[in-house]
Amino acid sequence: MTDTAEAKESAKLAPLHSDTTPAKWVKDNLFNNVMNSIITVLLGVVVVFLLVQSFGWIANEEWEIIRVNLRNFMIGQFPSDQLWRLWTSAFVLIATFGIGTSARAHNSHDDAAEKGLVIERSSLLDLLSRFWPILVFVALVVSFAKTWPPVLGVIAGVSGIVVTRFAGWALPAPIRSRAIPMMAIGTIVSLAVLAGTSGLVALSAGIVALAIAASELSRFFEGSDPKSTAIRTGGPIVIGAATLFIVNAVGFEGYGWEDWGGLHLTLFATVVGIASGMPIGMLLAIGRRSKLPVIKGFCVVFIEFVRGVPLISLLLFSSFILPLLFPPSVETPETLTRAMIVIALFSAAYIAEIIRGGLQAVPKGQTEAAQASGMSAAKIQRLIVMPQALRAVIPAMVGQFISLFKDTSLIATIGVAEFFQYVAISNSQPAFLGKGLQLVTYAFVAVGYWSFAYTMSKESRRLEKQLGVGVR
Amino acid sequence: MSNTPTGTVNADATQILGSGRAIIEMKNVDKLFGNFQALTNINMNVGEKEVVVVIGPSGSGKSTMIRCINRLEKHDRGEIIVDGITLSNDVRNIQEIRRETGMVFQSFNLFPHLTVLDNITLAPRQVRNIAKSEAEKTAMELLERVKIPEQARKFPGQLSGGQQQRVAIARSLAMNPKVILFDEPTSALDPEMIKEVLDTMKSLANEGMTMICVTHEMGFAREVADRVVFMADGQIVEVGTPEHFFDNPQEERTKLFLSQIL
Repeated sequence: MTDTAEAKESAKLAPLHSDTTPAKWVKDNLFNNVMNSIITVLLGVVVVFLLVQSFGWIANEEWEIIRVNLRNFMIGQFPSDQLWRLWTSAFVLIATFGIGTSARAHNSHDDAAEKGLVIERSSLLDLLSRFWPILVFVALVVSFAKTWPPVLGVIAGVSGIVVTRFAGWALPAPIRSRAIPMMAIGTIVSLAVLAGTSGLVALSAGIVALAIAASELSRFFEGSDPKSTAIRTGGPIVIGAATLFIVNAVGFEGYGWEDWGGLHLTLFATVVGIASGMPIGMLLAIGRRSKLPVIKGFCVVFIEFVRGVPLISLLLFSSFILPLLFPPSVETPETLTRAMIVIALFSAAYIAEIIRGGLQAVPKGQTEAAQASGMSAAKIQRLIVMPQALRAVIPAMVGQFISLFKDTSLIATIGVAEFFQYVAISNSQPAFLGKGLQLVTYAFVAVGYWSFAYTMSKESRRLEKQLGVGVR
Repeated sequence: MSNTPTGTVNADATQILGSGRAIIEMKNVDKLFGNFQALTNINMNVGEKEVVVVIGPSGSGKSTMIRCINRLEKHDRGEIIVDGITLSNDVRNIQEIRRETGMVFQSFNLFPHLTVLDNITLAPRQVRNIAKSEAEKTAMELLERVKIPEQARKFPGQLSGGQQQRVAIARSLAMNPKVILFDEPTSALDPEMIKEVLDTMKSLANEGMTMICVTHEMGFAREVADRVVFMADGQIVEVGTPEHFFDNPQEERTKLFLSQIL
């Protein structure tokens, strides 16, 4: 249906473009009467003036400050002898996500074929059109590099993406169907290599193991007899707990996030905020619609309190006041850990309200139809209501993610040197102090933020379009 | 305002035609929406393999009555027994009853994010823990039965209203229910699609499915119903065989209704 609508649309638009030459278009749109001609000329002068000014500025400015501080901007004070951790974790992520996403693309390609639809296999050019803002930024960064290793690393990473795209597509179907577990394991491994097996990493490993065990066991034990049911429910818990215990017990050292910095930390804080804010936000949204006054009351108070105060005040509270409230016998979590928890809870409160809006958009008949078939309330939420609610709120949700990404710059206020903070740090270095190079550094950081935020925004539109297929 | 219609006796619909046992028993059921009495003293039994058609003016409580049977609405007084299970506030009890009663809605209520096949297999897999391959096999058989197997991989949004409602019927059959509740299944359909849905319902009735059907399709009622129940103002006004009901109604209220629609 969408196809025919689009075809009609393009049929309507096509002739307009085909019989218009650039000269005619200019005459029709910019110089069609005296008033418009005057406006065109005036604006043209302003635009030319601005272009000359900015290109002149770009050509003349002192870019040495970026070159010297490039590593600070990217990874902060990450020590040189630990750099292998960063590279390894990045390559593990590229490999598993490259293979995983490509395998998933192949799966949905096959699914569509089964339904009689044709989804074009996405080419590298599509990938380029999706992620070009980030690539532009990476190219900019590489152009400032003074040594070879980062350049070679980036080249290796980019070629890794290309190679894994083809590898993932070529995998056999049973492996491809496990793309999500593979990406989850990749994330945990990359985190463990980087940060060691701290409590939080072990906890995430346990949760991932539990989820994978649940999905794998339900594939092989899907009967309704007591034995299968027991394995399906008990197995994942045992495996998850065992993984948590083993990872925690074995343990190896890493370079923990308390000492991370730069863009690396900014991206990490964003991912943590989204990944932990989403599930908490979902629970809060469902809780707020609960009929039990205690649950509803807690959710309302939490959401309204968090939304009612500025993020910066919560961060300062977590940094300066919270440690005083911990009893001496309990070990206080480190500053950045506390800040991450604040960011996660803060985004959870906003996400909860976005999801609540989505929940309200799901017609009551959906719940009734599921109830009438005897499904439990939890399954109705998980399988019927939540998937439809999330689809309805993609634009608002991604908007929240973008906000969160930029809001992470506020952790600078509690003395953490993330991406944005290096503007101030680099400009106070003796070599650059008082030279008025703030504009240069701000411009660089702005391009960095923009490239990721704009990519998120583009991906959200793509996701909307993709999920819209076949949905009323 | 008084909801008790003057001059009518609250009729008793407990007499089952034929020799089957009662699948559904409703005893002195009352339902209130705030101060509004939606159902007053409903007494009705539905026997095995019986087709009961419920008709009446809008707002007469027809839908509310069948929605009470599977607890989509909570009744305030009286007793409802489905297949020997007394409906109570216990969640497990409610779900046991819902597993045995299928329901088909006026607005289909198919799950738009799932394919037709997934719509049908969802409840058997999630509620009865039936293996995926087995559930899909059954689903394909049901789609054959409602004559749209070729639509299995499509999404509900790609189907016509009549096709959607037939999928909804297949979905309720997939749980192998003891009784199916139809809540105005053809009211949201374009005229040319009503027949295909009614034909599906007729063949179900012929195969011996127990059905309660709220409808405005008098032709269907006359042809398929074992008993017709006429409701007005939250009460059962008259009960009878289609012949009795359409050709020789006793109550004034029934005569008035029939004169307005026929």
